[in-house]
Amino acid sequence: MYQIPRAEWYDLTRATNWTYSYVSEDEIFPEEMSGSRGIPIEAWETYDEPYKVSYPEYVAIQREKDAGAYSVKAALERDAYVDRADPGWISTMIAHYGAIAVNEYAASLAEARMARFSKAPGNRNMATFGTLDENRHGQIQLFFPHANIKRSHQWDWAHKAMHTNDWASVAARSFFDDIMLTRDAIAVSIMLTFGFETGFTNMQFLGLAADASEAGDHTFASLISSVQTDEARHAQQGGPSLKILIANGHKEEAQKLVDVSIWRAWKLFSVLTGPIMDYYTPLEHRSQSFKEFMVEWIIIQFERQLADLGLDAPWFWEDLTNDLDVTHHGMHLGVWYWRPTVWWNPAAGASPEDREWLEEKYPGWNDTWGKCWDVITDNINNGREDLTLPETLPYVCNMCQLPIVGTPGSGWDVKDYQLEFEGRLYHFGSEADRWCFEQDPERYKEHQNLIDHFLAGDIQPADLPGALTYMGLGPGEMGKDAHDYAWAQAFKKQAEVA
Amino acid sequence: MSNLKDAFKQNKVGPVFNGGDVAQAAIEAAEWDNPDKEITVVDKGAYIRISAEQELIITRESMEEALGRDFQMNEIEIHLGSMAGQIEVTPEQIRFYFEKTL
Repeated sequence: MYQIPRAEWYDLTRATNWTYSYVSEDEIFPEEMSGSRGIPIEAWETYDEPYKVSYPEYVAIQREKDAGAYSVKAALERDAYVDRADPGWISTMIAHYGAIAVNEYAASLAEARMARFSKAPGNRNMATFGTLDENRHGQIQLFFPHANIKRSHQWDWAHKAMHTNDWASVAARSFFDDIMLTRDAIAVSIMLTFGFETGFTNMQFLGLAADASEAGDHTFASLISSVQTDEARHAQQGGPSLKILIANGHKEEAQKLVDVSIWRAWKLFSVLTGPIMDYYTPLEHRSQSFKEFMVEWIIIQFERQLADLGLDAPWFWEDLTNDLDVTHHGMHLGVWYWRPTVWWNPAAGASPEDREWLEEKYPGWNDTWGKCWDVITDNINNGREDLTLPETLPYVCNMCQLPIVGTPGSGWDVKDYQLEFEGRLYHFGSEADRWCFEQDPERYKEHQNLIDHFLAGDIQPADLPGALTYMGLGPGEMGKDAHDYAWAQAFKKQAEVA
Repeated sequence: MSNLKDAFKQNKVGPVFNGGDVAQAAIEAAEWDNPDKEITVVDKGAYIRISAEQELIITRESMEEALGRDFQMNEIEIHLGSMAGQIEVTPEQIRFYFEKTL
């Protein structure tokens, strides 16, 4: 049977705007959901998605992708890789699933918002597939870890994490809710699909896949890189929106949406992906440093794309490039020290060989973060684990919900960026975090961070055990050192030999 | 990498594949379809980055030749994890490009 080629019918069939007779355009497309910003619907009809797919094609291709990922899982299941994997790598997977899996469903809702409310028919069509994509990502990233629950309750946090008030969950939700669930369709297309998915998801789903493959974890590598092939398609929804906004005099707002998304994504990745790549992944399997991955995917690839679409580098670009040497080391030190407050077992990544690698990748590491790890190492080796565990909570930023960090050592430079707004004093970890707040104070002003709740008496008893209960962490779930301090022993042996 | 903030001022475009025979075929196809360009291939194990300056085209015809079987252009999505540059997909080819030259 002769089939008409897709190119000959696609534009006609996806032109699904029509002239309404029973209702007004504003009733079908309420501004707070559609976000057309006064740009006429005819202009949105020029939206031209670069990646065109029909439903039968979509189904056939997705079937292939799922068949690939599930068959790798099935083939390797009897191999019981998880039972012999390095504990640092196990922590990588457990942290990843908890932070990502359930948020995929939030992404599905965000796609559904575009599918229903975008005034651009091309956007609606692609977002319909995007909704299905993200549903797939939620399901597959819950199904894979589920097989491991028999090994540890921490694997259950793939599903549980986002339903708790764990500080890391609050930070992840704060970011994802901001760009996915509380924005109009056009803002979603820019902040989620362009700002986040053409940029940062590459770090977590391809960069990390390179480490997974090095670590011999082909199941995880094929799973996350398969997820990213969906992202590569539906991430193309933001570009046409940007072009329409810029052509209609809204460049400044488009730039702002992108900049907020980039900064907030960066902060979340500094606590999630940074420690995973530079500390948890066993040294011999690190294919590149976190900074090198950031340079490849964000500093070069993503920023170049931004320039091509007619936007400028974010005003904080130089701060961000400088922070590649700083922020994630501080986040890692904090996560490890407050390890009972996370659902995975942080790997210290501070053995003599690890430290040599860190010094090579981040010159000056030993004179800064290394000084803190010296003290921790001595305490562990002197039988004083108690001194390496927290008794209270760190101050967290009112934007990113993460600890306010700086560089330790002789140049100790931690700074609290403050803002008084309507009588309340807010604290931020950076100029850019404060700037994000100032762009839309109404959106953020009511939010109480973990410390605000603590000080308001919402966490009882008002101590660390009370906070752990508040965060939903039970015995067998709270993090401990991934390698039971074996890394510190090496220093003890060095000292004995000397 | 002393001046990272300007590191994006380059013009390399092209696909990033998560492996498979499609990636190997695309390397061959890229050579045939862009005869005047230097094609760079960086293999990171879990992903393979193929790039050229400013514009890189891969045609369905070359993919079929390299694979030795029928190939629909949109099948490329099965292994296309990311890309540098903007893209344009038609039934006959996929094109990665930058509008501007930096």
